[in-house]
Amino acid sequence: MRRFTLLTLVSVAVAFALIACTPEVTGPLPDAPTPITEAELVDLIATNAPAVVNVWASWCLPCRSEAPLIATASTAYPDVTFIGLDVKDSGADAKRFIAAHLSDADMTHVSDRSGSIPVALGGTSGVPLTFFYGSDGSLVHTHFGVIDEPTMARYLDEISR
Amino acid sequence: MEFSLLAAAAIGVFGFWLMLRWEGPRGNAAGCAVDLWDAGLISAVVGLVVGRLVAMASAGINPLTDPGQVVLIRSGVSTWATALATVAMFGAVTRLQFFPAADGISAAAIAGLAGWHAGCLPTSACLGTPSTLPWTYALGPGGVSRHPVELYAAVLLAIASIVIALWKQHGRPPLAAPAGAALAVAGGVNLVTEPMRISLDGGPEYLYAAGVIIGVIVIAGAFLHRARSTTAGVTHQG
Repeated sequence: MRRFTLLTLVSVAVAFALIACTPEVTGPLPDAPTPITEAELVDLIATNAPAVVNVWASWCLPCRSEAPLIATASTAYPDVTFIGLDVKDSGADAKRFIAAHLSDADMTHVSDRSGSIPVALGGTSGVPLTFFYGSDGSLVHTHFGVIDEPTMARYLDEISR
Repeated sequence: MEFSLLAAAAIGVFGFWLMLRWEGPRGNAAGCAVDLWDAGLISAVVGLVVGRLVAMASAGINPLTDPGQVVLIRSGVSTWATALATVAMFGAVTRLQFFPAADGISAAAIAGLAGWHAGCLPTSACLGTPSTLPWTYALGPGGVSRHPVELYAAVLLAIASIVIALWKQHGRPPLAAPAGAALAVAGGVNLVTEPMRISLDGGPEYLYAAGVIIGVIVIAGAFLHRARSTTAGVTHQG
């Protein structure tokens, strides 16, 4: 019985600690992602620099887990252009997502309400999804689903060469 | 994509099981009442969950409001939290038989780690820094030849697990020395291979170095303790 009480107390303490560590969005929200067409996005990618297009949405739960890695990568590789493509989302939700999860990221966010651009680029309609482009604008890698750190580091190393 | 990580975990569990099964009939953990298979698996699973929860919390994701994200191991696990929680859970399960059980599980744990590293094959995450050495290889179109660094770690750990198992069978090591050796090997192999890994913010070298140092201290302490016990026994008899 004593052990059960102790376990309950520890669980409650951990729960409170976890609630306390949840980030709150304070201050002014960032701008909503700019609506973009496929042609405009291709122009944005082809700027003589390697580029990463991360497809995300505020309603996508795995995108929240992936966001810290995207933010770290965008600051670790300043020579790579990072573009966040928000799909099938509302501007207000997207702003809150950026403020909560991608505020530290060095990246430009654009939006595609229809969700057709990732499919046109060679991906799927699922999120998260990440495209890696070489400095000549050619698609080098496409990663479906949540990306891990070793894979992200290797792909970035390859498009940066 | 998450299923490839499950395959990697399965290879790790298979390595752990294989070594325990090989050591079982050869006098491993004789006199230790702990079920090493259960204790090892429970500790590893608890360690992994705690490591994932810590990684989620440090990334600002609340496990209470997003409990489903706990299974997204691919998104990151806190190495130090996993290591500490695994050892703590193993201590809670084995209690007074901690050191005999730790010795009993030492070779199997290293074999399991070797399997986990070899699990880079299904996850396509074996490669590290670029190299032109003949055994290096590239992945995908336009890929650069790279060190299969995770396979290096897997081979080194597999060899170390066999050496520890043979030491236990034939070398009569003092209590806790095989466990210390396993800790030192786990830290040392990661420390040696870390420069060949590519990462965004560097690996936890401090943790690997701490593993090596603590492991060496445990081994030295075990031999010292046995030497003193032997001397005290001889004096007492005299």
